Amino acid sequence: MDRRAFLASTAAAAAVASLPWRSANGEDGWRSFEVTTRVDIQRPSGVSRAWIPLPLAGSNEWHRDQGDAWSGNAARAEVMRDPKYGVEMLYVEWAAAQGTPYVEVTSRFATRDRAVDLSRPGSGAARLSDAEVKFFTAPTELIPTDGIVRETAESAVKGSRTDLQKARALYEWIVDNSFRDPKVRGCGWGDIKAMLESKNLGGKCGDLNALFVGLARSVGVPARDVYGIRVAPSAHGYKSLGAGSPVISKAQHCRAEFFAAGIGWVPVDPADVRKVVLEEPPGNLAMGDPKVVAARQRLFGSWEMNWLAYNTGHDLALPHSRGPKLPYLMYPNGETGGERLDQLEPDAFKYAITARELKA
Amino acid sequence: MGAQPLELADLEGRTYRLADYRGKVVLVNFWATWCAPCREEMPSLERLRQALAGRPFVVLAVNVGEGGRVAGDFMKTMPHGFTVLLDRDGSATRAWGARILPATYVINPEGKLDFRHVGALDWSSAEARSRITALMP
Repeated sequence: MDRRAFLASTAAAAAVASLPWRSANGEDGWRSFEVTTRVDIQRPSGVSRAWIPLPLAGSNEWHRDQGDAWSGNAARAEVMRDPKYGVEMLYVEWAAAQGTPYVEVTSRFATRDRAVDLSRPGSGAARLSDAEVKFFTAPTELIPTDGIVRETAESAVKGSRTDLQKARALYEWIVDNSFRDPKVRGCGWGDIKAMLESKNLGGKCGDLNALFVGLARSVGVPARDVYGIRVAPSAHGYKSLGAGSPVISKAQHCRAEFFAAGIGWVPVDPADVRKVVLEEPPGNLAMGDPKVVAARQRLFGSWEMNWLAYNTGHDLALPHSRGPKLPYLMYPNGETGGERLDQLEPDAFKYAITARELKA
Repeated sequence: MGAQPLELADLEGRTYRLADYRGKVVLVNFWATWCAPCREEMPSLERLRQALAGRPFVVLAVNVGEGGRVAGDFMKTMPHGFTVLLDRDGSATRAWGARILPATYVINPEGKLDFRHVGALDWSSAEARSRITALMP
């Protein structure tokens, strides 16, 4: 069917308990949000393409996908799925003749705060199959699990017996030994071998949480990165852990999970502990600051869901692109004239992402 | 390829099954009130329905996840003679692979999927109409 003939619109201890990290939200804790991603290809040349990450599909205890819609002037738009990790994206293609390529994707989802009871390890039925354990302990291109990665992890988990104990030891090790480096572009690409070899453990979420995943996998603890974007301010009094405005074009944030038999997937976020240390007003907080102590305790086993999860994929080849693989898909990507656009420069690309909470 | 089964209730609670429409061309449109391109194309679905009145053709407009009150209130503002169904939990939408809206599937009289389109179209255009009438027995 010739789409040109149709409409143009084809077109997330007692002293600690008293701190601001409190239970929030309404009746059953679910909140709904709408996130809109608008991409405008600047100075198009030849065929233009865009790849826009879509929210995690389906539903679980903390996320419900409520639908996505698109509009624009593309000649082709198709939901594509990475076969290995199930990463879903909207692939959009514009013909060379299109002078002002644009696409807008609106996604709705519901989410609620996530907390795992770690007080009774091993009491539940949650288990991974052998194949799943193999999958979630495998290396990726930037997250090797041998050499210096394993040596570092083995040293950090010395004396730990269970996966839960090992994960806790690694989490504490990262919080104690890393730092948030504000000069890193975007969220950092997570080249953990280079970080360890250089003894420079500065980075952002893409680095520090990838470090957790790599260290965990290297000692046999299933783990994964979860890539997403902050959509709302923190309801727990942490200015540094939320989106500061409805425009969230630079609010991408990845988190991590590990699997503990009998418990299931456990949310962690050591990178956000270091973010609180650096950025929570007045800034450069001491490790003993009550806000840091509270965040450090709560970010092993819980996530505040003012954040949208996209996917858990690594080493992604974008469909219909001859450009390089991506370590992960957390930003809109684009190409025009055969050249990849800079996904970390929304104003030049350009793209804008906005979020709003939907009130019942 | 055979189309996915579809069994959903309308705004009044009556159950509709895709399988009951063998012998007719069926256009299944997944939509939501918050989806701007869905709202944009919906009048063209009604124009298409009217243009093919009396012919073996049916439009089933499946609202995704919003419930009867929201969908019903919206449809009161949208003149229509086609059937509106409610996929309250989104399970039919997922089964059909309608990940992004609007998504439209055209089923031939043998119950097989002829084509699908993701995004808004002017379904009342001559091109769309001729493609659909070409499927009629």
